[in-house]
Amino acid sequence: MSISLSPWIWISALLSLAVFSFLYKDNPFYRFAEHLFIGVANGYAVTFYYHNILVPTLFDPLFRQGKLLYIIPFIIGILYFTRFIPKISWLVRIPIGITIGYYVGASIPATTQAFIIKQIQGTVLTSTNFQAWNAGSWGIVWSVIVFIGVLCSLSYFYFSKEHKGVLGVTSRIGIVFIMIGFGAAFGYTVMARISLLIGRLQFLLGDWLGII
Amino acid sequence: MKFIERLTTIDRRIIYLVLAIVVLIPLISRSPERVRVMPPVEKLYNAVDTIPKDKVLIIDFGYAPQDMPELEPMGFALLRHAFEKRIKVLALCLYVQPLGLAQKALTEVTEEFNSVAQTNADSIIYGRDYVFLGWQPPPLIPMLGMGISITNVYPGDYYGNKTDTLPLMKYVKNYNDVALLVSLSAGSIPRSWVAYAQNRFGVAVAAGVTAVSAADFYQYYQTGQFTGLMTGMKGAAEYEELVETRLNIKKSRKASEALPSLTYGHLVMIAFIIIGNIGYFVQRKRRQK
Repeated sequence: MSISLSPWIWISALLSLAVFSFLYKDNPFYRFAEHLFIGVANGYAVTFYYHNILVPTLFDPLFRQGKLLYIIPFIIGILYFTRFIPKISWLVRIPIGITIGYYVGASIPATTQAFIIKQIQGTVLTSTNFQAWNAGSWGIVWSVIVFIGVLCSLSYFYFSKEHKGVLGVTSRIGIVFIMIGFGAAFGYTVMARISLLIGRLQFLLGDWLGII
Repeated sequence: MKFIERLTTIDRRIIYLVLAIVVLIPLISRSPERVRVMPPVEKLYNAVDTIPKDKVLIIDFGYAPQDMPELEPMGFALLRHAFEKRIKVLALCLYVQPLGLAQKALTEVTEEFNSVAQTNADSIIYGRDYVFLGWQPPPLIPMLGMGISITNVYPGDYYGNKTDTLPLMKYVKNYNDVALLVSLSAGSIPRSWVAYAQNRFGVAVAAGVTAVSAADFYQYYQTGQFTGLMTGMKGAAEYEELVETRLNIKKSRKASEALPSLTYGHLVMIAFIIIGNIGYFVQRKRRQK
């Protein structure tokens, strides 16, 4: 056992314990650690953003190197602050419109192709998809299960017709698949949360106390 | 019956305490657990292993402190693999918080190799073997921009060097020179890499994700959009296992060491769920009577 002598390790360990104290009940130590974290994280982000992004990519070219074209993004950026002045607050729509326009233009074709077309291709029963499972003849079975699961889950979300008859059966099967999905997500969530606990315990017992 | 009623009203602090003890004991006793490597991780390992000499591996370090237990071991294992095979690496971040953690991983793994290196050729040299590009917001800009020119998107690296002066960047121009991009992320960023970098420029993308988001990513592995996939601490342990057994690199394996605790933690959770359900159904039966 060799306890760390580093002040940073001690600060980190004590803050970890302060956060863990919330498991017993809310208390000032926990609130201090929480506020400190938010403050430090935001301070770090703002400072880094200013020095590493704004200065080298906008302020320096515009004000030091005299590249006048940079006045355009500068003014567009400044317009974001007009929302604090009620009389001209409508101007904020200009940078918001530009940002939304850019992102929508870039994302609609890309996401349609990657998240819809490709996923539909992956669901269709083809020999390529059977082999993709790398499970021999079981690939066909898994592909059929996925195919049925997707169709039935989609039918559950079809609300324009009462869930009776064929639609009632498929939507009920869909619920089973959705529940299996929720179960998998919950199991993974448990795994993630226990992993976080393990990570902190590894730090406290290893880096701080030197027991492991 | 009082006992059954108590089962449904166990104080959450008792559950926390039991969980903490169960997780703690295997960590201290260091009970080993065999790691069984699953196909998604093995595929990722093979993809990294077969990167040609004239191509690079991009690692997007996307984990913040709260994701470290799951994603940091993946980053270390990937870097050890790449450096051992002398695969050139470009590291980058799409957010601010991971920057320090990425630098830590790069520095520590470089130090591991350089501490045993005999010659300059054996060493891992910054600028020659790897480059840390740093951070360039917003994420869409580097994702699309690197398809045209990496040095245009990142005129300077994390340390303030001009990227076009670095030896590695002389022949790495854009995605055409990238064999694989691995995104280590706790969010949806790996999907964005698929949508923008792979969909438009054809880059092979793989991911290391936290367990909580794993269920959202398997469909991309099934369709082949992800070359490989590591999920949570288990995925990290699998990659560590491959790096140790196939490359004979015996270093600290934080994820593998944690697996027994993870297993027992799960068993406790399952036990509490069963106990809670027994209590619920017994009480419901009593009420019906």
